[in-house]
Amino acid sequence: MEELIEQLKQQLIEELNLEEISPADIDAEAPLFGDDGLGLDSIDALEIILILERNYCIKIENPAQGKEIFYSVRTLANYIRENRK
Amino acid sequence: MGNNLNIYIAADNIISSLGFTTRQNAEAIKTYCSGVKPDESHTVSNELIPVARISDDKLKSGVDKYGLHTCTKAEQLIILSINQLQEQYQLNLSSPSSALIISTTKGNIDTLRNATEKPDNSVFLWNITQKISDYYKLDKRVYLVSNACISGISALIIAKRLLQSGTYRSVVVTGVDVLSHFITSGFASLKSLSAGVCRPYDTRRDGLNLSEACGSMLLTTDYCPDKAILRGGAITNDANHISGPSHTGDGLYYAMQAAMDEARLNPLDIDYINLHGTATIYNDEMEDKAVYLARLQHVPINSLKPYLGHTLGASGIIETVLCIHQLKKGIVFGTLGYEKNGVSQPLNVSGIHRHLPLKTCVKTASGFGGCNAAIVLSMEAFKEDNRPSDEVKIRSVKRCIIENNSIVVDEAPVLQSAANDFAAFIREAYKVLGESNMKFYKMDDLSKLAYMAAAYLLKDRPLFNPLEIGIILANSVASLDTDIKHQQIIDEGGNGASSPAVFVYTLPNVAAGEICIRHKIQGENTFFIEQEYSPEKLKKYVQLAMQNSRLNYCICGWCDFLNGKYKADFELMAANKE
Repeated sequence: MEELIEQLKQQLIEELNLEEISPADIDAEAPLFGDDGLGLDSIDALEIILILERNYCIKIENPAQGKEIFYSVRTLANYIRENRK
Repeated sequence: MGNNLNIYIAADNIISSLGFTTRQNAEAIKTYCSGVKPDESHTVSNELIPVARISDDKLKSGVDKYGLHTCTKAEQLIILSINQLQEQYQLNLSSPSSALIISTTKGNIDTLRNATEKPDNSVFLWNITQKISDYYKLDKRVYLVSNACISGISALIIAKRLLQSGTYRSVVVTGVDVLSHFITSGFASLKSLSAGVCRPYDTRRDGLNLSEACGSMLLTTDYCPDKAILRGGAITNDANHISGPSHTGDGLYYAMQAAMDEARLNPLDIDYINLHGTATIYNDEMEDKAVYLARLQHVPINSLKPYLGHTLGASGIIETVLCIHQLKKGIVFGTLGYEKNGVSQPLNVSGIHRHLPLKTCVKTASGFGGCNAAIVLSMEAFKEDNRPSDEVKIRSVKRCIIENNSIVVDEAPVLQSAANDFAAFIREAYKVLGESNMKFYKMDDLSKLAYMAAAYLLKDRPLFNPLEIGIILANSVASLDTDIKHQQIIDEGGNGASSPAVFVYTLPNVAAGEICIRHKIQGENTFFIEQEYSPEKLKKYVQLAMQNSRLNYCICGWCDFLNGKYKADFELMAANKE
């Protein structure tokens, strides 16, 4: 699990152009969206959907469904672990 | 005639999936015919998405008639459309009292397909300007505006100002966009596309339909009886998000209010509203809020997108032409497919045509980069004195130039970097600036460049309210640098590989949108494309814009970025308004 979390952090940094941020800066429990956490927005959500498709063969058809799944790096990792094929 | 000035719409044309004349389009809509159909030929998409396309056969006969075989499709459409105006109204475009404004988002972008290594010249938007200018002997009296999906309405507002100022007596405005894999793949990655014919304002709406069209209008100050009049127009920015519609609708509301103010009309004078109505969940919801803020909720509204799809840079023109048709015929076309209200507060929408006495309407558009635009059209001319009083003078308050690894503000160097490339330079510059906005690193290079130049202009800025400052920019390459990135991604990985974070920057005005978000700027945004920077031409227009709007300040200038080569030359202009 922790390995998946580290891998996800790395992928988020690369795919979402989170320059100036290292994996250690990302709190796995903290919200990804909104002003408190990493400040991601709706375009980032679409990019995360692509990360899931490309790297984990997981398809999320409805972006609204992503809200809970994408809450934090940990919720995302949990979802991947449960739905990975 | 007294001291009033009217802008008459003397002639018009629509070329779309529904026909090659305004009349053919209106007749098709009258019989509830939609041009939106699955793209079975896969010419513009890989998936079987519903789109509205212009008939190739009909286009070919027009091309043969006028011998336009060396032109691109977009150029052919522009010429065919303008030629139709000339059949309706005696118009000499080669006269110094006439000008042309072209509105487009992506022009000939399809020529970039599998050709990103060495793009053809036709991909530059200024190349279209040049070809059309040569064809009609316009001798530089041509403008091209590329401001996302408000481009068409922006072009009408520009035309209005040029006519009001007496710069020209007649201005032709032509909007065009042609479908391509470039566009369909991008919108698909944003999950904005409907599976069927779009259903604006309905509970079952699930996205928009992409389509192509070209439309033209001839605007003139010469007296034309029984013609519609462009009475007012305004542009605003949400300053909220580069692709997501505002949650409050305030930007669009401000645009509608300012357009009505300029038209010297109030909500009770408005008989009909044609909204942008793309049928995405968030666009329609935003418009709903704006209509209520403007106290226009009782007015019959419609969206024409279920008939024509979203024709991007052409939509503002062709939908305005249809507004005029509806005003003249006393009919509000039904919003095809509408059955049950699906927005928070009910709007006055109907799925069927309504026959009503009509005199005045509001037409709106909204687009990426957070931009909104509204115009007021009326069959009733201004009778009162509506000429602007004194001429507003503008002056440059501050200037920032960024090029060759350096930033110079008012001739004083603030940064001279030894960086090897733009990425390293702009990162260093951002640190020197001392901001820590995570969003900066996600922007494309054109936006980073514009953001940086604006940051220095507005450092220790004068106090302004959001609506009194605007951004009017120009460049030669539009968003080509990012266009190439998007095209490379889909050339290599297929349409499904499209990255939403790249695609949203394939519009030059998004750079202005980023500045608006950062500095809470809600005044107008306009983005012109020209081959070379002409500060005089741009500032002349900035003066007109400031004279005919609430702007007291305006960021204006040049901002170009392609393949690591860049230059920004921004000035903060102030108006001496009392």
